[in-house]
Amino acid sequence: MAEALVIRNLSRRFGGLRAVQDVSFAVNEGETLALIGPNGAGKTTSFNLITGYHRPDAGSVLAFGREIVGLRPHDICAHGLARTFQVARPFGKMTVLANVMTGAFLRDKRLDAAREQAREAIEFVGLSPKEHTPARDLTTIDQRRLELARALATQPRLLLLDEVMAGLNPAEIDQAVALVGKLSQRGLTIVIVEHVMRAIMAVARHIVVLDHGQKIAEGNPKEVVANQDVIRAYLGTGYVQPASAGERPC
Amino acid sequence: MLTTIAQAVINGLLIGGIYALVSIGVTLIFGVVKIVNFAQGEFVMIGMYISYFLAASFGIDPLVSLCISMPALFVIGVLLQHFLLRRVLALGDMPQIFLTFALSLLLVNLALLLFTADYRTVQTPYSETAVHLGALYIPVAKLIAFAVAMVLSGLLWVFLHTTDLGRAMRAAAQNRDVAMLMGINPDRVFCVAVGLALALAGAAGSLLMPFYPAYPLVGQVFVLMAFVAVVLGTLGNVTGALIASLMMGVAESLGIQFVGADSGLIVVFAMLLLTLAFRPNGLFGGWSR
Amino acid sequence: MEPVKKGLISRSGLWVGVLAAVALVLPLLVSSTFAIDIFIRILLFAFIGVAWNLMGGYAKQLSLGHAAYFGLGAYTSTILLIRYGVSPWIGMLAGGVVAMLASLPIGALCFRLRGPYFAIATIATAQVLMLLFLKFRDFAWGAEGTTMPNLGDAPLMMQFDGKAPYYYVVLALLAIGLAITYRIERSWMGYYLVAVGEDEDAAEAIGVDAIRIKRNIYLISAFLTALAGTFYVQYIYFIDPNTAFSFNVSVEAALVSIVGGIGTLWGPVVGTVLLEATSALLQSWLGGGHGGIQLTVYSLILIAVILCRPAGLIGLLTDAYDRVVHAGAARVKEVPLDG
Repeated sequence: MAEALVIRNLSRRFGGLRAVQDVSFAVNEGETLALIGPNGAGKTTSFNLITGYHRPDAGSVLAFGREIVGLRPHDICAHGLARTFQVARPFGKMTVLANVMTGAFLRDKRLDAAREQAREAIEFVGLSPKEHTPARDLTTIDQRRLELARALATQPRLLLLDEVMAGLNPAEIDQAVALVGKLSQRGLTIVIVEHVMRAIMAVARHIVVLDHGQKIAEGNPKEVVANQDVIRAYLGTGYVQPASAGERPC
Repeated sequence: MLTTIAQAVINGLLIGGIYALVSIGVTLIFGVVKIVNFAQGEFVMIGMYISYFLAASFGIDPLVSLCISMPALFVIGVLLQHFLLRRVLALGDMPQIFLTFALSLLLVNLALLLFTADYRTVQTPYSETAVHLGALYIPVAKLIAFAVAMVLSGLLWVFLHTTDLGRAMRAAAQNRDVAMLMGINPDRVFCVAVGLALALAGAAGSLLMPFYPAYPLVGQVFVLMAFVAVVLGTLGNVTGALIASLMMGVAESLGIQFVGADSGLIVVFAMLLLTLAFRPNGLFGGWSR
Repeated sequence: MEPVKKGLISRSGLWVGVLAAVALVLPLLVSSTFAIDIFIRILLFAFIGVAWNLMGGYAKQLSLGHAAYFGLGAYTSTILLIRYGVSPWIGMLAGGVVAMLASLPIGALCFRLRGPYFAIATIATAQVLMLLFLKFRDFAWGAEGTTMPNLGDAPLMMQFDGKAPYYYVVLALLAIGLAITYRIERSWMGYYLVAVGEDEDAAEAIGVDAIRIKRNIYLISAFLTALAGTFYVQYIYFIDPNTAFSFNVSVEAALVSIVGGIGTLWGPVVGTVLLEATSALLQSWLGGGHGGIQLTVYSLILIAVILCRPAGLIGLLTDAYDRVVHAGAARVKEVPLDG
């Protein structure tokens, strides 16, 4: 199967802080990968490095076979990578429809075509009734939906979701998980940064764990959950079980 | 030749001290309150008129009237922040810039109305005297102005780095939200910041009186240089504003000396644009991204 | 939604038509040259405001140095006219091109700057140009400037007897500016501009090349501003660096949009009418050149507007329009909403 995204030796420091250190992993096409780790582990920074908001100090990022390090964010988006932000950033002055149309214009500059594309994305996330609401009047959760719809309107092949489930109640989490599942069914490759375990377990077969900028574990959910380094990173040394039958994944 | 250069450098440094007082005020307000004060020059003008009238009516020497102009402008600053600037804090760049710009327009025209466009000067015993250092000619009035400016800058530095309120101001400048979480009252801190900035402007005004005329538009001359210094020294950086002001004073002076009598400003602007081309955040602002 | 939309469009179309008709016959109804001069000033500054608004209103690039292009346009056409006998009509276009070329390096420098740095850098560029032209004695008459050769009534050389023809020229310029804004507003470019103005990083994330958009809108804005510069010096028959690169032009360009309504089609027009009318009224009430009083009141009014209605006064007008015409029904548009 082809690899949608290949990260090799990605590194970036800010002054004295080594935010991302020598991180490598790969995502297959159509796969959903979860990137997890305690706060400050470097997850969002990794997203920023991948999508071109910061230049990595070292390393390479291959998206669908093409090196994208050094490209500006809009080029990377044109190449098929879309992202959402941890804190939603809607264009407040514009309506929901206008926001999403702005995303749709990437592929087709015509007003009608963009509007249609936008409406599809809006319907997918369930915001159709609020099509003409100004984005700044939306609730936080609806703003997140808007963020997703806008990213989808750019017709990405790879979607990077940054903590879309934060602060959702269980019913909303289920909805969000369903949406992610539908996207995956459409063939979209997804990399999702999350803290909500339930969601991660439901959507991802492949997990990468970061801590203090380094990759400390990778594997399927079962492996990762049992991994001593992962437990130590999240909960501290007190919770580490004595060495037993737990396999050490790569 | 060396003497000419040295003289130009001295001239530049001396006037740079005045630029420093004005630019430190601007950068302080921007750093703490995050507003660009286009009216800063007008407060210099107010300081000048205060000293003028004290000298003309009571014979008080401008340097002595520092003790009156500075507190007076401090109070004006506190009132300005509390009643006017506070209202536009949440509005974003444009309304803020235009508010202070409108304020500048208001003050200039009020001055025109009240004092007419006439040049007002004050003659002091030392207005015309100079110190001679070898072949160098150092006007006493300017030397005193420079010295006082440096002392005031130093005092401000001490205040910002050793007192609680000063540290609170620096904290608010770096991260307003966290500062508030730490119990720092933003309004109080802002009022003091603006008050201090205007007090420095007032000081600049009083220090200028012995060798510079007061007239309604006088502020505009100094505010232009101040803004260039503020940007060069990185917005919000008090030490940067000081160093940049001195550099600019010297650059302007050298420009006048060696390029042409009307070329001081061009040299300064060229410096600004060149710096921004390579350092978008000023000399001390580091690289962006 | 369709019937409401059609009604809305035909209604606002009607208003524009009425406005246009009034504008066209105005010089015929008014005989006072003083009044026509005011109208010309209003139209001119509305045009400059519209040009500025494309950049400053939609894309939120707060330039306070548009006088640079005003001056470049003015000097280009004047130099071509006086030194080479070229008609200012052609000179006007040439000035526009010069301005566009100048906007490229200026933009390249300034767009990397954020917030106040950008504004101050734009001020600096206009000032540098002024200083340079003050020095250019051989090429461009230095500080004294020059007057236009009086060719009498010479329409082909942009000189007319009487004020009315000037009025129509600047009216045409304004119409062009509004038409361009209208077309951009309703195209993908309009959406991209607002997106960049709202949140440049988020815009980049959805494929908007922010640098290119800013550069392109700057080209257009500079071009239009330069046209205004040519017109102005042709109208007053005089040019010098202080007039051509005047900071006041830069300020007014921004001010009329801010007062009238940032990022809206008619904002600059509304703002100019209000500001110029206020200024004219103050002048007649409070007496002509008596230092300072009319500007004092003017600045007080400005401060009041900024404090009370920072989004510009057009909000007041559209609210009133809604209430009167639609009896309060919600206005539904899918184009970017006005702030």
